[in-house]
Amino acid sequence: MDRRLLGLFGGLALLALVGLGVGPTRIEAWFAANSVVLRQAMVTGLLIGGVYGLVAMGLTLIFGVLDIINFAHGALLTVGMYLTFLLYDRFGVDPYLAVPLVGAALFLFGGLVQRLIIHPARNAPPHNQLLLTLGLALFIENALLVAFTATPRAIRLPYERDPIGIGPLVVDFPLRIWGTTITLPKLAAFVFALLLTGALSLLLQHTDLGKAIRATAQDRVGARLVGVDIHRIHLVTFGLGTACVGAAAALVLPFLSVDPQVGNTFNITAFVIVVLGGMGSIPGALLGGLLIGLTQELSVVFAPGSTKLLGVFLVFILALLFRPQGLLGRRL
Amino acid sequence: MSQRPVWAWLAVLVLAVLVLSACAAPAAPQAETGGGAAPEEVAPAEAPGPEEAQAEPIRIGGIHPLTGGLAADGIQMDNAIRMAIQELNEAGGVLGGRTFEYLSADSTGSAEVGQTEAERLVNQGAVALICCFQSSVTSNVAAIAERSSVPLVIDVAVADAILQQGYRYVFRLQPNATAMGVYGAQYLRELADALGATVQTAAYMYDGTTGYGDSVRAAFARKAPEVGIELVAEVGYDPFGVADLTTELTRIDQLAPDVLLVTGYYNDGLLIARNAEDVDLDVKLVYGVAQGTYDQPQFVEDAGDLAECFLDSNYHWDASNPKALAVREKFQQQYGEPMRTSAVLAYQAMYIIADAIQRAGSAEPTAIRDALATTDYADHILPYPGPIQFDEAGENINARPVVMQVQDGRVVQVWPPAVAEAEPRMCVSWKQ
Repeated sequence: MDRRLLGLFGGLALLALVGLGVGPTRIEAWFAANSVVLRQAMVTGLLIGGVYGLVAMGLTLIFGVLDIINFAHGALLTVGMYLTFLLYDRFGVDPYLAVPLVGAALFLFGGLVQRLIIHPARNAPPHNQLLLTLGLALFIENALLVAFTATPRAIRLPYERDPIGIGPLVVDFPLRIWGTTITLPKLAAFVFALLLTGALSLLLQHTDLGKAIRATAQDRVGARLVGVDIHRIHLVTFGLGTACVGAAAALVLPFLSVDPQVGNTFNITAFVIVVLGGMGSIPGALLGGLLIGLTQELSVVFAPGSTKLLGVFLVFILALLFRPQGLLGRRL
Repeated sequence: MSQRPVWAWLAVLVLAVLVLSACAAPAAPQAETGGGAAPEEVAPAEAPGPEEAQAEPIRIGGIHPLTGGLAADGIQMDNAIRMAIQELNEAGGVLGGRTFEYLSADSTGSAEVGQTEAERLVNQGAVALICCFQSSVTSNVAAIAERSSVPLVIDVAVADAILQQGYRYVFRLQPNATAMGVYGAQYLRELADALGATVQTAAYMYDGTTGYGDSVRAAFARKAPEVGIELVAEVGYDPFGVADLTTELTRIDQLAPDVLLVTGYYNDGLLIARNAEDVDLDVKLVYGVAQGTYDQPQFVEDAGDLAECFLDSNYHWDASNPKALAVREKFQQQYGEPMRTSAVLAYQAMYIIADAIQRAGSAEPTAIRDALATTDYADHILPYPGPIQFDEAGENINARPVVMQVQDGRVVQVWPPAVAEAEPRMCVSWKQ
């Protein structure tokens, strides 16, 4: 602990020295020159981070209750995106109307996966369960490849650039505030993601089902002793976790094209967020999502030419070193 | 022990509907190896009932990414080789009636898998190989080809380094990274001058994670000063792990370049187009350099009006050649998808090999190699200013990119004038 603190202060001191070496005026000049980019990075980071949070929330919920690291999470996101795409492409269903539909479909699909694949292996060693979800991910990816081919699909909302009237107020999209750009699909994804996160938290805190889920997460045997049907809770929780991913899928499709591998992009990020936020913590997933969103965009500004994951993994390593239990690391 | 509740079957139903409705889309029928059932009655040429005691078929191996993120191209390339072989066999084969047999392999997009698959194909008697779509895989396969003395014709793979090893058995059809970058820069200058536009500065967004993006960018950057273009920003990104590029484009917008240059794959190219529109990027042209999006008909489908005006200097089939159009027409009928450039190159590679075998008078790998080295093939369907000929290193000396532009919802060739289908336009779609 002491050594780690020493390392932290040493690092900060080093950073300060570098700052002094570069010179305050030059730092100021840099910030002046990059102010618009910095603001844009923060806006984009927060907007994307909200969606990351929603995806990670499903993952952390499943881990918290079932003690399973679900490697198929990204693949389920891909399933949700294709479902949204089909609804839009074949039946003209608006992606935002599709949020509950795809969420419900993925809830059922998740429940089915849990019952048919995860449940029978519940007493297997953890690494077996982990490999099981990995296998499931590969299966889903390749099934989608057969069904849809690798050709990416994308949709473009016809009203993406229409002004929207809220009462007497008319808002032009994309919004331009303070030199930054906010597009309708990203803003909508962010708002919906926050609403869903809030709704899920309420469900966990204030309903009998939520209490049963939390009880199961805290102590499986204890929960069973007071009459909680553990198997049902596992099934419902897995379904809820995949429903989160389904909702997130419908929200990202208006700004991200889908191919059978697209879930991988979110998979790695979601794992980092879950560890950063604290495994099993719902608010931690949201906080982690926003932080990772910000980090990846800001790392583009501070280290141009790097890929976005540079900053993300720096934060990841620091989190593991200094706060291995995660920022809000407490079970549910 | 547990009875399945009703909703479980409901979920199965949902999944089934999902898969089925996807399958309802035009599925690509897999043509069988060799001269299987022809889809329609093509003139049967002089191919009467062959003797059963025919010589063994000539085995040609193809290695492409048939699964994974690049499978869309890989599967088309594989099918294109099948189509070429089917045509060649229907026309009576080579060497007085010997037919071809196709050995297909899946690189899965991985260099290691590509390498072991190459070894497998050689062991199964492939006398020539066609591959790979990716530079990383091609490097490994080229090493195997050289070591096994089996000729390899590269259909698609851009990295210069592949042919800088002194290989004797490896040949490349497409323009390499240097040609892509150098001609990309030169054509941009010519185009700007023809349009009367002042183009002095450019910002470059490129795939910074594979050799392809970086080598094309480097070649462009070397040529840029010579043609009076200053690169004010070079922004690398990860094409496979990126969900948003707004921040990067905001940074470029602050530098106010004349042109945005892009080198990358499909998804990221589409993302750049959308995000450039989002930030209302202030440039005169968007110009892809060996870019995988802006010359694809699918880009028009996905991006709609936004796709207008985008330029791409890239390899292509020769859209001004009727034979190329006929080949693509046939492919679309047979496989249900518009034939991509990568598939046209794979198709062409098969004909180059057949030509070499015919001239060699033998299907021995070394004889094929010697014949390939003296290739002089004018009847090709690529937009090159001369016949296909290979230099010492195995590069196609006449390989050139062409500049294409989306105009009124169609991808047309606009530069150089010799192969142009339409006049280039100077515009950016979100400024119209």
